[in-house]
Amino acid sequence: MIRLTIDDREITVPEGTMVVDAAQELGIDVPIYCYHQALGPLGACRICLVQVEKMPKLVTACTTAVQEGMVVHTRGSAVDKGRQGVLEFLLINHPLDCPVCDKGGECFLQDYTFQYGSAAGRYDEPKIHKLKDAAINEFIIIDQERCVLCQRCVRFMGEYVGEEQLLLEGRGVETVVSTVSHQPMDSQFSGNVIDLCPVGALLSIPYRYKARPWNLERAESVCPHCPVACTTSVTSREGHVIRVEGRPIPGHDWGWLCDRGRFGYDFGYVEDRLLNAWLDGEITSAAESTRTIGSWLNDTLEQHGGDSVAFLVGGQQTMEEAYQIRRFADEVVGTSKVAVSRSVKGYLPLGLNGTFEDLDRADTIVYLGQDPYDAVPVVHLKVRDRYRDNPGLKVIGIGAYDLTRSTVPGDAFVLEPGEEAAFLAYTLAKVAASNPIIARLGEELGDFSPTFKGAKSEQEVETLGRQLLESEHLVLLWDGKDPHMESVLLALRGLREDVTAVLPTFGPANWRGFERAGIAVDYDRLEAFVEEAIQGKIHLLFSIGADLLRDYPDRERAKAALAAIDRVVSVGLFFPEQRELYHAVIPGAGWSEVDGTYTNMEGRMQVAKATVQPPGQSRPVRTYLGSWAHALKKSFVLEPEWDPFDHNAGDLIAKDALPEVQSVPKPARPAMKDGALRLVGTALVMEGGMPSEILQPRIPKYPGRISLADASRLGIGEPGGELGLRGQQGMISVMVAVDERIPQGVLVLPYGVVGSPLNQLGDGAVVEAVSLEEVSLR
Amino acid sequence: MTQTFYLLRNQAVPDIDRIEVYEANQGYQALRKALKEYEPKALVEMVKASGLRGRGGAGFPTGMKWSFLPDDGRPRYLVVNSDEAEPGTFKDRELIEKNPHLLIEGMIISSYATGAREAYIYCRGEFLFGSEQLKRAVAEAYQRGYLGENILDSGFSLDIKVYRGAGAYICGEESALLESLEGKRGNPRLKPPFPAVAGLYGMPTVVNNVETICNLPPLVENGPEWYRSMGTEKSPGLKIMSVSGHVNRPGNYEIPLATPLRALIEEYAGGVKGGRQVKAVIPGGSSVPVMTKDQLDTPLDYESILAAGSMLGSGGCIVIDDQTCMVAVSARLLKFYREESCGKCTPCREGTFWMTDVLERMEAGEGTPHDLDLIRDMADNIAGKCFCPLGDAALGVVVSAMKYFPDEFEAHVTEHTCPMGARLYDTVNH
Repeated sequence: MIRLTIDDREITVPEGTMVVDAAQELGIDVPIYCYHQALGPLGACRICLVQVEKMPKLVTACTTAVQEGMVVHTRGSAVDKGRQGVLEFLLINHPLDCPVCDKGGECFLQDYTFQYGSAAGRYDEPKIHKLKDAAINEFIIIDQERCVLCQRCVRFMGEYVGEEQLLLEGRGVETVVSTVSHQPMDSQFSGNVIDLCPVGALLSIPYRYKARPWNLERAESVCPHCPVACTTSVTSREGHVIRVEGRPIPGHDWGWLCDRGRFGYDFGYVEDRLLNAWLDGEITSAAESTRTIGSWLNDTLEQHGGDSVAFLVGGQQTMEEAYQIRRFADEVVGTSKVAVSRSVKGYLPLGLNGTFEDLDRADTIVYLGQDPYDAVPVVHLKVRDRYRDNPGLKVIGIGAYDLTRSTVPGDAFVLEPGEEAAFLAYTLAKVAASNPIIARLGEELGDFSPTFKGAKSEQEVETLGRQLLESEHLVLLWDGKDPHMESVLLALRGLREDVTAVLPTFGPANWRGFERAGIAVDYDRLEAFVEEAIQGKIHLLFSIGADLLRDYPDRERAKAALAAIDRVVSVGLFFPEQRELYHAVIPGAGWSEVDGTYTNMEGRMQVAKATVQPPGQSRPVRTYLGSWAHALKKSFVLEPEWDPFDHNAGDLIAKDALPEVQSVPKPARPAMKDGALRLVGTALVMEGGMPSEILQPRIPKYPGRISLADASRLGIGEPGGELGLRGQQGMISVMVAVDERIPQGVLVLPYGVVGSPLNQLGDGAVVEAVSLEEVSLR
Repeated sequence: MTQTFYLLRNQAVPDIDRIEVYEANQGYQALRKALKEYEPKALVEMVKASGLRGRGGAGFPTGMKWSFLPDDGRPRYLVVNSDEAEPGTFKDRELIEKNPHLLIEGMIISSYATGAREAYIYCRGEFLFGSEQLKRAVAEAYQRGYLGENILDSGFSLDIKVYRGAGAYICGEESALLESLEGKRGNPRLKPPFPAVAGLYGMPTVVNNVETICNLPPLVENGPEWYRSMGTEKSPGLKIMSVSGHVNRPGNYEIPLATPLRALIEEYAGGVKGGRQVKAVIPGGSSVPVMTKDQLDTPLDYESILAAGSMLGSGGCIVIDDQTCMVAVSARLLKFYREESCGKCTPCREGTFWMTDVLERMEAGEGTPHDLDLIRDMADNIAGKCFCPLGDAALGVVVSAMKYFPDEFEAHVTEHTCPMGARLYDTVNH
């Protein structure tokens, strides 16, 4: 530790700390443009000049490491003059167009000029002119004249994300920030440069000219789009959400967002948003719909009893709403049939759940079935951050295709689809066969042996096994597809002495929160519900924020279930798929419209404040629950509010005991005809979620991905093409493109692609390519 | 006047750039001696003992620089800085164009001494001929077994690669040079770490100027005592001075350090043209403050020139006669720095731009008395506040010219014309 004095106050900080950060700890504000803790020192802007005793010149606080006994002055005539000079230089070629700049009012050039700058300019020469208002992609414009060349954006993309898409072009006073080869930035992390830009050079196109900061309200929130639940700040004006920014939590989170989260906030205002109640395909009044549904509930309870009513909940609600639904089901309706709509069958015991801090300490990170870049983008950034700190980080991808990518290089084990759990049980048996836990795990494996796409030796399998057992801090990111993986993860935890942390990359985003609210989330519950519905045991269904057809792995079965129920009521932001299966559709309220708590993939509870009123006739779930209780002439008192936080466990949900390890069965490999493909589902944050007009240009045109060999065989060229697919349960058409990470014989398709429902054919299904005419005749 | 020739000794020999001619003139004998008679550490000690200082501009003791390399088993690199772009300096150019094998021989000795197995020559972008000469000479040296595996059966191996820059003055700054050599934008790096610890590709690296390395063969041949027999205690040895400007015989002259400035101008360079008088001299390349005619008896060594308020720098001696406008000189030189500022840090990028504009406006007769204060204040806002030395370098001439020739600057803004009748190229920028 180093002791130094800053502005006559002593502080002790770790060696290597920069003066600027030491000052910050004392609450002393040193102005900065180019410096950012995540990016490290650069020393370009020179605004952070400070005086250090016994040094002949002023020094930049961002590049000067603390030294024992150092005496720093952050103000004084020399410092103030130096900063004033830097600001004057920054402004000579700046257009001074604050009145029409979106950054005006929240701009560090304005703030520091106000604080340290001169009241009048001395510059009388002509200004350099550069590019203004030029789009660098669909979401961001650049104004090169306002740029202070701090390089935060360039360094963030190139060094931090590892996707080199911005650069400095030209030199001297003509230097500008530009895109590489003048191509639009297509990184899914592009929007962060807006937050990073300290001035008005990089601005959001959707937010452009929407407001001045003094018109705005800002509320702390979390992103609802994936299980990461990044901390955000939501900006609203006159009842409309108009912007989402990252919200850094000092010492815990940098506040990065992916473009899905940053720009996908407009689902509240898209054309399809439900604003009215519908009964049997006709718009009706809120009162009429409430009365009708109330009478349905009343009649069903009288005729068939409480257990004939079921609740299916989706992933959008807050924990408080989940709790209200459960209590309504328990206390008012008297049914135990509450299930969560899910796409994957796996479950992760809370006791195995790791946190993002585990990623910060990991020496080995394993992707199971899913590339986190696609499903939980900011987790990819966290892994990349760890890799930057620790280039020796071992990353291992285990799945039906190569899950690693160049930004975090790793080793890929490419298997037959759905064999990850069996493969790991097999691998562990190679290195620790005598262990009783491993023996239990492998009891039913029989003669299973993995088939690798791309060469992998037995030696490499053994090395993997040892890495899994011996790494010092193991983190596994699991896609939740294969329920047997749970036992593999339990076994690993049981065998290893060091930390074993698992982060579930699967949704729905708030499933842990539902669990905490008392709703069982296991897939068996959902399966039982579907079965009972098909058998006619369910007469009234409340589908709240759920869409069974979209989510459930077997679309035909989902249809059969809904069709077999007398009355199906949907509460949501949008019409569910095949709305003719629903008897009533009523408009719900969602994220940014209700206060509440969400639990992320760490098991961490985070509060999101409401910033706007629900539009049209849409109402929060609790309003409907209250009115239906009223129709039953029952009391349903929700006060006092339930507090999901357990004050002994902080914001993490308290861990519980772990279940027993079960054996992993030998996977059945389906017969493959020549030229057939295995369909592999994946979670892609851009697909299957809430609709957004802003994001339209980024929704992949070719969401399906196949190998080059299959593409050539099937006549798919650049940039991609449409493919008809037939499986046992039907046909779909898919837009596909080549991805070199996909092995031959596999077609990877995201869940929830509009028009190409994977669950029509089934995850892992054997499909064959057919002509598009055949599909359209279907 | 007697001119000593060591670095430039064979410049007049026809075809000295051919290896057989170079060999016939004692070429590669020093290398043989070094490999046969010296352990690498002994060579480093010899360079230390000679007191040789870096000839690129800063004058840092070469032997000491070499001894900073950490002994940690990582690969080491020698990088020769041949990005000679300082206005007024053209000594390295002559060395590489006329006698490239001298540099190559020096590099092999230096690499052997410092333990580098790979060496690079970073050649200025505009030196097309020079880089071709180097490439050809390197190929010849490979053919004769002076490069490659097991050089002259010594067990020492070395590869040399010639890299031509893209034409940026800033790449003469060693850390920007390394960035550029790695294929990145040529911007200076944050120091520490210094190149000796983390240089090329993060490995320990020695960066030396062409002339510095060319000192090695004569040094090995003649020994450190010989070297110390010339110059002063702190500035021993030889220096090539590039003399340009208003002299009768502009060119490169090899002098023992501490030769008086007057002797360089009058004896070596044949005196001021047209019988005119010296008004000012920029002794060490365009980045150093000017000296006046009253300081012509200053000995040309690092300490004496520093005491006289300037720097020996790269040895680019620009002689300015009494009919030259110092405002025009300042404006022209600042324009160079404005064009060559890399743009990384604010004061250099914006300050050189603004100051050039103001000086050009003054020269065009459009200045105001307020401009003089403005320039001084701007200089104060640049000085010592830039990321690398380029910003300070840009100020050398203008600040000293204003100090020594204040009347000339004032006349421009009070009479609204140039009293010397000078015309600037294109007056204003835009």
